[in-house]
Order: sequence, then C-alpha cells, then structure tokens
Amino acid sequence: MRTTTLKSVLPVLLPAKAKSGSLFSFRLKLWHGIILLCICLLTSTAGFAQSDPIKASVFEILLRWMPLLLTAFIFNIAISMLAMGIGTAAGTVLGLGQISPNAGLRKFCWFITQFFRNSPWLVLLFFAMFLLPFEFSIGGIDIPLPDWLKATIGLSLPVMANMSEIVRGAVNSLPSGQWEAAESLAYSRRQTLWLVILPQCVKRMLPPWMNLYSILTMATVLASVVGVSEVMTTTGRALASEGGRPDLLAPFYSFVLLIFFIYCYPIARWTVYLEKKFAVKG
Amino acid sequence: MKTTIKCIIGTLCLGAAALSGQVANAEALDDIKAAGVIKVGVKADYKPYGFLDSSGASIGIEPELAQDVADKLGVEIEFVPVVSSNRMQFLEQGKIDLMIATMTDKPDRRKVVGIVDPNYYSSGTNILAPKKYGFKKWEDLNGKPVCGIQGAFYNKRTSENYGATIVAFKGTAEAYAALQAGSCVAFVYDDSAIVAKAKEAGFEEYEMPLPTIDDAPWGLAVPLGEEKFKDFMSEMTIDWHKSGRILELETKWGVANTPFAIAMHEKYK
Repeated sequence: MRTTTLKSVLPVLLPAKAKSGSLFSFRLKLWHGIILLCICLLTSTAGFAQSDPIKASVFEILLRWMPLLLTAFIFNIAISMLAMGIGTAAGTVLGLGQISPNAGLRKFCWFITQFFRNSPWLVLLFFAMFLLPFEFSIGGIDIPLPDWLKATIGLSLPVMANMSEIVRGAVNSLPSGQWEAAESLAYSRRQTLWLVILPQCVKRMLPPWMNLYSILTMATVLASVVGVSEVMTTTGRALASEGGRPDLLAPFYSFVLLIFFIYCYPIARWTVYLEKKFAVKG
Repeated sequence: MKTTIKCIIGTLCLGAAALSGQVANAEALDDIKAAGVIKVGVKADYKPYGFLDSSGASIGIEPELAQDVADKLGVEIEFVPVVSSNRMQFLEQGKIDLMIATMTDKPDRRKVVGIVDPNYYSSGTNILAPKKYGFKKWEDLNGKPVCGIQGAFYNKRTSENYGATIVAFKGTAEAYAALQAGSCVAFVYDDSAIVAKAKEAGFEEYEMPLPTIDDAPWGLAVPLGEEKFKDFMSEMTIDWHKSGRILELETKWGVANTPFAIAMHEKYK
C-alpha cells in the first residue's frame, strides 16, 4: 500500500498572486528628479568642457534665454488649450453624429472621423496653413487670420476626430439597459441622450480626453515647422543668435524637454488617478 | 440634433463664402505715415544680419537699417520675424511693408516683389571644411555628404553642379554640430559667415578652402507696384552706401568689410 505524505495536514488554497508588479504602483519620487537633474548637469558640463573658457558658460546663456523660452512655452500652452477647445466642441458634435439614427449623417460623420483620425498631424497642419487665407472679410470687415491661429485650427482637426471616437466609444460602452429604461419612462431620444447617457459618459471620457490633451500639447511643437514663433522656433533662434555653437544644442533642447515634461507629467498622473477612481470595481 | 448639424454646415458654408478677400493697397508710404508704424520683415535666425537678443527683440545689421528707414519717415518700427520660405508671401499679403531679410536678388523674385535698386548688400557661397580633407575645387565634393541650411538656394546648385549630397538642417547650430560630428565633409553657407566662424575657438582645424561662387547681390523689397515707396527706398540705399553706413554696421557687428560694400561706397562717394 502506497502512502502519500502530505506536507501539511490541512491543505489550503492560497490567494492568487499577480506575477508582475502593478504598473500603477510606479511613480516619480524626489530622487528620480535628482537623477534627471544630474543627467542634465552632466550633458551641460560636457558641452562646457569642449568650449573655450572665455565664452560665457552654458548655464549663464541658458539662464539669459530662459524668460524668452518660457514665454514662448506659454504660447504653446495657449495653442494647445484653444485647439483642445475647438477640437472638443467639434468632436462632440461629430461623435454624436456617429451614433445618429439617420444613416446618412452617421456615415458622413464616420467618414470625417476616420479621415482626420488616420492622417498625420503634420500633414493636417500644412493643409490648414496653406489652404486657409491670411485674412477674410465678413460684411466688409477684414478679419486677419494669423499663422498661430491657422496652426491651432490645423491641430484641432485631429483632436476633433479623436474626440469623436472618444464620445462614440463612451456612449457605446454604456449598458443598453440605460437606453431601454429611459425609453420605458417615455423619454425622447434627445432627453435620453442629454439627461441619462451623456452625464454618465463624462466620467468615462475624462481620462482619454486628458490623454488626448497631453498628446496635443506635445504636438504643438509641430507648429515650428510652419513658422509659428512657439518654443521650438524660439529655441532655434536663440541658438542662431548665440552664433550656432554646437555645445549649446544639448542643454537648450534638454531644457525644452524638461519644461514639457514638467507640464505633461502631472496631467498623466492625474489621468491615472481619475482612471482608478472611475474604474468599475471588480 | 439635426438643427445643430444644419447650423454647423451653414456656418461652414458662410465661412467658405467669406474666404475671398484681397487687400487693395493704394499708397504704401501714405498708409505707413497714417498708421504711424512701419512693419519690417527681418530674419530672426541669421547672425549677424538679423537675430534676437535674449529679450526677444530683433537686432543685427538689417534691423538697424530698418530703424534708419523708420527714423527718416518719423514712424515707430515693428519687426516681424520672417524665414526664407514665407518672406515674399508676407510682403504680398501686406503683413509687412518692407522686407530686409538677406534675400538674394533674382529675376524670378523681381516678378513677385518690388526689389529696390541699387542692391544694399552682397554675399557669395563657400564651404567650411576640416583642413585634413584638403579640398581644392568644388568638384572635389562630388558624391560626398555636405551640410546645408533648409531653404537656401545654393543647396540645389551645390548638388546639381558639383554632385554633392546635401544634408539640410534647420539651423546653423545643428549644421555645425553635424560637421563636427563628421556627418558631412563640409558645410555650404554664406562666405562672410564662414570667415567669421573659422576664426572662432573650436574651429582651428577648419578652413574656407574654395573660391567663392555665386557672388550675388541682396535685395530689400517693397510690395510690387509701390513705385513711390520704391523710389524712397532707392534714395535710402544710396544714402547708406554714400555715408558708409553699411561698412560701419559691418564693423559694429563683427563682419570684415565685404568687397561689395567697399565698392559701392567708392561708387557713390
């Protein structure tokens, strides 16, 4: 007779453990910042070592240009906010059009959405820059359309298309019971949408919307390609004004990276927080 | 829902219909005086001709020339930074009244903007290359990578006539860095800028070895058809040459006096 040896008298089922660590548990701490700063310092001093000691140090130069670069960065933020506003408004309309009961309208909105969502942002930007006039007149009044506004419109096109998909996705993600319940209470379609569906969608749309904003903010530097005086253009001008010193390239572009990171990272953290908060408890 | 969509479509149509405005300029000189401000297009990335100080203001040889014009007219000045690809457009569209932006005078450009005679400046094309390569003539660049600046007209010439492969960069800093990193064997640029750069620390091993080609005059420009303004600018330019103002500015901004500026000063003295 075979005997089975059990390690434990009472075998128990242990709770399942996730094999990989949760991605959400990682976040930037103070010491990460110190490491980042050290990397910046190292690249800057490497640049400094190459150059002549008589020339102003890289830090002095960067410090001198900092106010101008930061002003230009504020311009980037303004462009991003305006483009986000236009894109969100237009995208919401387009997204609702995509779920319209009218088949023609639905197909039209679907086509517009897919067209702008699958076009490169830079191409759309050029499209807006060269197709929009520099000024137009309504009732005899000339309204100038400056380059930055054209760039904003160009950037709001892909935002609009992505927003449209976010709205459509959010509405579709709601259980159909919500629609049925509203219908049984004799709500019209418009009432159902405004009073029942959309209020529930806002929560779901917020994290992807903020993600989209983050991406848009980082894409505003594309406007430098079409000559808008934003932070990349200004950096280029500052570098040219310092006589095209190659050792300044790394510190200046690192600085631009850093300010974008400082602006976008909190948005990313907040998005994660909201995602967690709104997540359906399993 | 439907009304919203209709509204939007209606607005779009209205917008499209409104996109048909063209400015009719009567007399630029009178307009400038009436407005009390002259808008001048200058470069913002072309040291020492037009660049920025750390407060963001335009400085350099060309902004100073523009300031002379504003002083003569008794108006305020407003600098508009332009780049090679948009400077003529800006003038056509009326975004600027006057353009002094390192533009080479070319017959096809004279059809688009009113280039003022006589020319105010001139420069030629040359290369900055490490001494170790020992380039002697332009044909030596055949098949080799050469750095350049995006939008410069001599890029095409260097590649078509001499067979070089142009690697074009956004700014001079990027191009100099690429040259030092060995991404290209030479940097094709304006001769006056190269002379200054070769003297700088870190560029001891570099030289300007070839004969300057394409020595072409630069033209400042007013909108096409503005004859009165053009005559006024002609007088201004002759004054600059006569008084040696160009030579003086070259010295002030650290450029060796160019043969063209010296010759023009002799001619009008």
